[in-house]
Amino acid sequence: MQIFVNTKYDFVKYRFWAVAFSLVWILIGAAFYLKEGVNWGIDFAGGASIVLKFQNQVPLNKLRAELTDASIQQYGKPEENSVLIRLPEQHKETDYAGQIVAKLHNDLNPEGAGKFDLNFQGRDGLTELLMQDDPDHKGTGPDARAYYAQIAESVVAKRSELGLFTNMQQVVSTPGVDTGIASVLNQKVHLGSFNVLNQETVGPQVGKELQQKAIWAVILSTLAMGVYLWLRFDLMFGVAAVVCIVHDVSVSLAFLGMIHGEFSLDIVAALLLIVGYSINDTVVTYDRVRENRRRTKTRATLEEQLNLAMNQTLSRTILTSGSVVIVLIALILFGGKVIHEFAWILLIGVIAGTYSTVTIVPAVAIAWNRIGGRKHDIAGPAARRVESSNPPPSAPRAETPRKRKAV
Amino acid sequence: MNRSLWWKIILIIAVLVGFAAAVVPTKNDPEPIRRGLDLKGGTHLVMRVNVGDALLLEADQGMESLKNQAKANSLPIPTTRRINPSTFIATPPAGISAGQYETIAKDYLPTFDMSVTPEGAMQFKLKGPAASSIKRDTIDHSVETIRNRVDALGVTEPIIAPESGNRIVIQLPGVDDPARVKDIIKTTAQLQFRIVEGTPGPDTKTTLASVSDSMKNDVDILPGTREDQLGRVAGTEFYAVRKTIPVTGTDLKNARVQKGRLGEPNVGFSLTPGGAKKFGELTGNNVGRRLAIVLDNKVVSAPTINSRIDDQGVIEGSFTTQQAADLALVLRSGSLPASLTTLEERTVGPSLGRDSIHQGVLASLIGFIALVLAMLLFYKGAGVNAVLALLLNLVIILGMLAIFKATLTLPGIAGIILTLGMAVDSNVLVFERIREELREGKSVRASIENGFSRAFGTIIDTHMTTIISALFLFQFGTGPIKGFAVTLLIGLSASVFTAFFVSRVIFDLWYNPERRPKEISI
Repeated sequence: MQIFVNTKYDFVKYRFWAVAFSLVWILIGAAFYLKEGVNWGIDFAGGASIVLKFQNQVPLNKLRAELTDASIQQYGKPEENSVLIRLPEQHKETDYAGQIVAKLHNDLNPEGAGKFDLNFQGRDGLTELLMQDDPDHKGTGPDARAYYAQIAESVVAKRSELGLFTNMQQVVSTPGVDTGIASVLNQKVHLGSFNVLNQETVGPQVGKELQQKAIWAVILSTLAMGVYLWLRFDLMFGVAAVVCIVHDVSVSLAFLGMIHGEFSLDIVAALLLIVGYSINDTVVTYDRVRENRRRTKTRATLEEQLNLAMNQTLSRTILTSGSVVIVLIALILFGGKVIHEFAWILLIGVIAGTYSTVTIVPAVAIAWNRIGGRKHDIAGPAARRVESSNPPPSAPRAETPRKRKAV
Repeated sequence: MNRSLWWKIILIIAVLVGFAAAVVPTKNDPEPIRRGLDLKGGTHLVMRVNVGDALLLEADQGMESLKNQAKANSLPIPTTRRINPSTFIATPPAGISAGQYETIAKDYLPTFDMSVTPEGAMQFKLKGPAASSIKRDTIDHSVETIRNRVDALGVTEPIIAPESGNRIVIQLPGVDDPARVKDIIKTTAQLQFRIVEGTPGPDTKTTLASVSDSMKNDVDILPGTREDQLGRVAGTEFYAVRKTIPVTGTDLKNARVQKGRLGEPNVGFSLTPGGAKKFGELTGNNVGRRLAIVLDNKVVSAPTINSRIDDQGVIEGSFTTQQAADLALVLRSGSLPASLTTLEERTVGPSLGRDSIHQGVLASLIGFIALVLAMLLFYKGAGVNAVLALLLNLVIILGMLAIFKATLTLPGIAGIILTLGMAVDSNVLVFERIREELREGKSVRASIENGFSRAFGTIIDTHMTTIISALFLFQFGTGPIKGFAVTLLIGLSASVFTAFFVSRVIFDLWYNPERRPKEISI
């Protein structure tokens, strides 16, 4: 199947509309940031983030009463009985999430005091518990430890499979649990109301460092891109590329502001990828401009050259961006909540990258060319002959660099 | 078929087989591609080593040895005080000049710079190189101790690495009880045996009052748990213990959990020959007194010495089995030279990791199938060529991950499928060029030739830009994001090979010079 064969769209004509559209979009995003502030993720803001999965419905009121300064929200679908707890920074380096989890464990499981909470503690603790009672009379040597460790391992594996245990029947039906072990478990084990899916603490120092690192990484990679393209092509294109990258990143960030998404490490990763990838369409187009220049014998303004190259590469641009968009949509729909926002930002960035290739980059290049005396126009051989009686100052000079580049 | 084509095919098959073999699990290596913490579950910790502790200790030892040597040389003993972690001031009694201590300072405090203050006191400042070598040693020693403890816990493939800024990064895959592991890692486990003076009291003042006047300056007041008649914890009480510490944790040879008379867990220890000699002297000279067993500046227990003990003993306290086991573990693995502060912790429970891997793989499969369908739809016969190149690219990425022992993270899985989406670009560039050449009326042979040669420069440029940003990503990222950058770098490099070299060979194979096909399905 072939698409966009021999098209002759006049992309250049619409560039001012496009610039206006992008500016409006970015301004709307900026307004969201001004109104609601940046939703810094834990990586940058510091503090603690905890995800708990409960046996039954999440005891929201109890949690809110326990943790007055926390933001508490549902995690995933309602039937997953999971909750995300975010706590603000403590201004000192402590094991904050761990302390909160321990406190919740005590307060939400009053009936389990002194017992071993199998929804909370792990394999090694269970091994010790079994070693102490030694229901299968294995003694105290390393063989006994290995024996009980293996049983503990399979019990904990079963818990991971289920998410968490809701009744003792699930525990004692684990393969390897015999009646002796089952009776010890029934006696000493308590099934607490929640299991910790995820717990994170980021101290204030680390958060600040990451913020700086992230900003520098984005700025430096953008500049590196500009320098690479300046060396490979020319200064006009290097500048246009940097403007294009700034545009793509701003559009993506504006979108993040509109959905009030969390600014996390993953988002920075997405932005860095946008910096490197969204420029590809632009590189392909400009590559074509350069190639056409070498071959063209007729007179062509930069506007005409850009339009020609954009039309020639249009089907490739759509197909390639389309491939990545397909993949990103698959990630958004099926990839789970951990990479959801990451995939969304990439999607917006890739679309913005394709769009800016046919709008923003020509706008910058044309403006540069007009201000700089139209050095990038081609005065074809026929034209030169006519103009030779009254040569424009730029025409002969424009010829020399073109020849050099063709080598 | 010509010979160079044969060689190319052999090369491609060798690459395919080599990388595929790396991914196949074997008995020795059941998991050739390591899963990252976010997929496997586990804990990532960044801890700061409070190296100031070690400097403090050095200054304390300096003060001690200055006093001891003054005594040995029949000089009046100066009073000392610390003014910052690495500097202390020693004031000799009135009428004694500081100069008399210079030889001692030179011989016994070589790591300190001594200067005389206008008031006639001596200021000892830890030398710069000495301080930095103490810092370095402290970090190395901490890494070593943490590694011992983590190994004793049986964590497989932990990563324990020092970082700049006195930090240690600890990654513990598969750990399912982070609270306990953190406790074990962070316990300084500085064990001391010290003689108790006076009687323990409910607050520091009462305790100090019970100490005889001559000893008042030579004791430290430390907290300990008070137990009732039945041995249950019933509050805190304070002990006055002598400042001299004759026996410490470094004198231990071994420690293990054992059961007491009532079946309660306690920790039995044995001492090294040198330690046993010191312990024998300590207990032999103090029969009838109480011996405080001090762990991290808390009195764990203070039994009365009934007779001389040489090479072994028991630490009793109100321990649970697990606490006793953990204490034995940290004692065996040695003490940390300085305390640790948690700067960052990320723990992923095993069930979340399972969900993530399922969703990541599902999304990638669906994305891959969609890519394959799109290629076949748009390029028909040549689409098959692109799909083969993609598959080979996938094998190379997975193989590289296995060979370099890189870890696969959730963003890494996303990175693989995203890389394949990007790698398609190289094929598209070539195919679109071939189509253009065909439209211009060139022969099939020439179109393929020109398509590849004309697209080459463009392919290099588009790859370079993405590779540059992936390098920044790698430099910037931690853990999962590094994993993403790695898959991206490998995949993009591989796609130059697959889309350019492999895809070309497939076209050459298809193009039969004798038949000279007039049409190509593209």
